[in-house]
Amino acid sequence: MALLQISEPGQSTAPHQHKLAAGIDLGTTNSLVASVRSGMAETIADKQGRDLLPSVVQFLAKDENGYQTIVGYEAQQNAVNDPTNTIVSAKRYMGRGLDDIKEHSVYDFVQDEDSMVPRIRTAAGDVSAVEVSAEILTALKQRASDYLGGDLTGVVITVPAYFDDAQRQATKDAAKLAGLNVLRLINEPTAAAVAYGLDSGNEGIHVIYDLGGGTFDISILKLTRGVFEVLSTAGDSSLGGDDLDQAVVNWIMSEAGITDPSATLQRQLHDKARAAKESLSEQERVQLAIDLGDANNWSSELTLEQFEKLIQPIIRKTIVPCRRALRDAGIDADEIEDVVMVGGSTRVPMVRRMVGEFFETEPLVDIDPDKVVAIGAARQADLLVGNKSDDEMLLLDVTPLSLGLETMGGLVEKVIHRNTTIPVARAQDFTTFKDGQTAMAIHVLQGERELVSDCRSLARFELRGIPPMVAGAARIRVTFQIDADGLLSVSAREETSGVESSIQVKPSYGLSDTEIETMLTDSFSHAKDDIEARKLREEQVEADRVAQAIQAALNEDGDKLLSAEEQQVIRQSIGELIEIAKTDNPRAIKQKIEDVDKVTAEFAQRRMDASINKALAGHSVDDITEGSK
Amino acid sequence: MTTHKTASKITVPDNYFSLLGLPLSFNIDKKTLNHNYHELQKTVHPDKFASASDRERMLSVQKAAQINDALETLKNPQRRSAYLLSLFSIELGENDTSVDSAFLMEQMELREELSQVEDSNDPLGKLDDILAHVKSRIKAAVIALDTLFQAILADDITAQEQQKRLAQAKSETLKMQFLNRLQEEAMNKEEDLANQL
Repeated sequence: MALLQISEPGQSTAPHQHKLAAGIDLGTTNSLVASVRSGMAETIADKQGRDLLPSVVQFLAKDENGYQTIVGYEAQQNAVNDPTNTIVSAKRYMGRGLDDIKEHSVYDFVQDEDSMVPRIRTAAGDVSAVEVSAEILTALKQRASDYLGGDLTGVVITVPAYFDDAQRQATKDAAKLAGLNVLRLINEPTAAAVAYGLDSGNEGIHVIYDLGGGTFDISILKLTRGVFEVLSTAGDSSLGGDDLDQAVVNWIMSEAGITDPSATLQRQLHDKARAAKESLSEQERVQLAIDLGDANNWSSELTLEQFEKLIQPIIRKTIVPCRRALRDAGIDADEIEDVVMVGGSTRVPMVRRMVGEFFETEPLVDIDPDKVVAIGAARQADLLVGNKSDDEMLLLDVTPLSLGLETMGGLVEKVIHRNTTIPVARAQDFTTFKDGQTAMAIHVLQGERELVSDCRSLARFELRGIPPMVAGAARIRVTFQIDADGLLSVSAREETSGVESSIQVKPSYGLSDTEIETMLTDSFSHAKDDIEARKLREEQVEADRVAQAIQAALNEDGDKLLSAEEQQVIRQSIGELIEIAKTDNPRAIKQKIEDVDKVTAEFAQRRMDASINKALAGHSVDDITEGSK
Repeated sequence: MTTHKTASKITVPDNYFSLLGLPLSFNIDKKTLNHNYHELQKTVHPDKFASASDRERMLSVQKAAQINDALETLKNPQRRSAYLLSLFSIELGENDTSVDSAFLMEQMELREELSQVEDSNDPLGKLDDILAHVKSRIKAAVIALDTLFQAILADDITAQEQQKRLAQAKSETLKMQFLNRLQEEAMNKEEDLANQL
């Protein structure tokens, strides 16, 4: 007979050590990495003691060692002299098509016929925003591993709450290229709420106003007994501090009579504009001097009053989503406990003033707006990796944009409405309109408008293998699922025959699996990696994870939910998996993991049912009503 | 044939009410609903299965989605009513207009008023009036539905009586559908006006 394993309260039964996990804030202007050590979440600094890593990557020409990149402060300094090979604000291009990149850009964008993703022409070849982001993630991964003294088991990466499916998928692709195991993508304002809410233990309704370098989010959350419930979120995924800088750049250009600036001059103008903006957070006026080349200089003064006139229309644009979020949450401004400011751009005094006026409350600015998102992500990573198994904390987030389908006449029919709590699954029934029709095309869109042309195309699906029937007889149920990362997946089934239709997904924007494979093989970050070795290692890690998870489940519930024979079958299967994982055949390991999955399917189902029964058992409905009065 | 046919009883063990630990009723206790919802999500949410097997992770996403759907359905009176009706095999069509003509007339007048809001001296004030009116009508529908469902779900109701009340409940639910749509349009307009200021 197996001995019962009894653990200390607060400790997991699985005999594992503290796992290394980190939270990453992948920002437009700056990125950070944080981790929980001895119960405290802290940002990790580089060797020079700097927490921020400027989200800037310089691509150098190829030499005998292959491609080289420079990431961070050094790349930022080099940007002025090498503007076309030094990529800043790549986050703005994540999950975007060539048509979206309307803004005046110093980069030379190109797009292949067989790819949906635009690339920037650099000295090191054509690179996509995903690869640029992967370089930043790789640098942060290295920083965290060095500091924590080992490989990371998993990371939580934050994304703007208002990111759409393509932008989220692009972020996950970047993590894959960087060799990171993503435990979860979480929304930046939600991460900030975690960092903030856990410190203060405040119950009630909180607003997070997050104005970063290139994105704006507003989230309204309700905090009850450790549950962070997002009531609504709204925003603009291309509005941020960059736009404030651009307003100043435009002003300088018009004042100095600059009409067609070179890439170098543009870079200089942006740097000067940003410096001026930062100074005007503390001063009333700032001196500007621009080197126009040919011993030609321009200088002038910018006052706070002039600056605020320039940026007011931009800040006003953030109030529109605030109004919508309040309405969607179904609450009035006077129910709000507080407004928390996140993101470097909230240092601008006018931002604080206008937000305070709108919500009729003095915004909270006592936490470092740069670090708070990474710290929240680190706490969530620590929880998800299993270091704090008894924790009561739970994040319930929403999908920021409605999901719909194209119907007759170029209209969009909504299937999942914005601000629906995720995960969510919705089914929609379709039928054929021709006799003997065996295929069907479905166009998935994201957005709030009624016309297909006003929404963002996510993907086109083709259903095949519908059994031939008379028109209108087939009933094809298509299920749309948005998972806890906010990512969409689709499945389809013909209901009258039970035939699973195959789905071919063509993302409207994004890298194909083949493209990612190719990038992994010859990407800048992994030029020296042996891809086969990496695959083997990944499967071994996965096998280990599966074996541990099932072993823990058996220890916990095996005797309660399974017969001795059933337990024996599962134990044997795990034993075989552990043996196969010692070999060097990644495909065999993968196959065995799938076998184990099948063998344990029934057990998993029973465990889920048992835990649901247990969740509400022990207290009758009357008890709860009594208790909450 | 007896005149006292037994009325339909809802016996489905896994409906959204039982899933969230609530008695089958139109009138629900919101505190209990939220409390039970949180307890269930603390058990099944994918975050609790981040390092579990793939099978358990998949199950957790499905179950969490189902519980989210149950909450959405039960917390909104219109959806809650439509769901209760569906348990009696009564489905509401998207364009079902089987409500009395007096109600339809009133709706048309309200719509007319709404479309002319911009021409008024005080558009936001006018919108407030319309919204207040619509809200009071929604409230009245909620009270009517509560009474109807108490009778429908009572143990001693006859089949004939139950059918009659179900038809009335369907009509009230359709009215609420109209009213909610009107309310949403009025709120859209309010948002547009506020953003223009």
